Amino acid sequence: MRIEQHPIITFNKGRKVQFTFDGKVYEGYEGEPIAAALHDAGIRVLGHTHKLGRPRGFYCAIGNCSSCLMVVNGKPNVRVCVEKLKEGMAVETQIGRGDIK
Amino acid sequence: MLERTGVPTKENIESVTPLKERLSKGPVAIIECFQEIPCNPCYTSCKKGAIKELIDINDRPILDPEKCNGCGVCISNCPGLAIFVVDESYSETEALVKIPYEFVPLPKEGSFVTGLDREGKPVCRAKVEKVLNTKAQDRTPVVSLIVPKEFSMTVRFLSLNDHYSDNTIVCRCEEITLGEIREYIRRGYQSLEEIKRISRAGMGPCQGRTCSQLIMQELAAATGKRLSEIKMSAFRPPAVPIKLGQLLGGDDHE
Repeated sequence: MRIEQHPIITFNKGRKVQFTFDGKVYEGYEGEPIAAALHDAGIRVLGHTHKLGRPRGFYCAIGNCSSCLMVVNGKPNVRVCVEKLKEGMAVETQIGRGDIK
Repeated sequence: MLERTGVPTKENIESVTPLKERLSKGPVAIIECFQEIPCNPCYTSCKKGAIKELIDINDRPILDPEKCNGCGVCISNCPGLAIFVVDESYSETEALVKIPYEFVPLPKEGSFVTGLDREGKPVCRAKVEKVLNTKAQDRTPVVSLIVPKEFSMTVRFLSLNDHYSDNTIVCRCEEITLGEIREYIRRGYQSLEEIKRISRAGMGPCQGRTCSQLIMQELAAATGKRLSEIKMSAFRPPAVPIKLGQLLGGDDHE
């Protein structure tokens, strides 16, 4: 799902780019938050918690809540709601606190 | 009364309630068996000889609280689910009540449930301390509930219904429930700073951006103060999660 019309915000969409989520190829617009592209693709679970393994998803959408931490290009704990999408990014579900490679 | 409703009378209960001194000393069995029925597994299962020999199999069990060490073997052995163990020495304000529970699903250890009285009425919130379900229990699991001390002789069953929303997760990052927060408040933690340090609520990746307000509301409700009188905990930089490398040598991050 993607908001196309908004009373206040105008969307300056970048060019269409491809990225991968857990190995599968998806499309999004360059420069939009990674979370937006994932949301558009119908992906609601972005990670799982460290203690109880509960699914965590898109929550505050402004970089506050750390609910959307994911592994991007191998880097864990990236807040995908404020990280901009680039061509060829490898986005992965994060489990727990993330490992530093 | 008992014959018609299945609920023992006050006199029934008083007749099997150990003396206060014994209750405060530690775990003890409470045998709420008030009818003469041909049954004796409680007597045969007790290794301590705390249940008087049943001369006639119809005799009611008589417990010697001084001999009983509250081991709870009799709980699962009673086909009538009429035996409980009460431990009032659990903490200063709480008691442990062990209840036979032949239902599915079993409650989860550490979760919050609603304590019910003998009539099935909600009495108080209760935390599931332990669920004992080994071969020895022979399909009569024993659930240990932590209840406020004043309800140790009242709570005799539980409902999984989260009547007080105690299982609601307040701190999403560290996964702390409302029940746990309330527990800390009851134990005397009176400020957000204290609760943060003892529970880790607010110390996860979001740094309390969701839970601080909620915990403050709970503190205000518990202490009768206004929300504006509850102090926030200290906020220290960095304000957003950053990598140590960024502090050392900068980063290309916007």
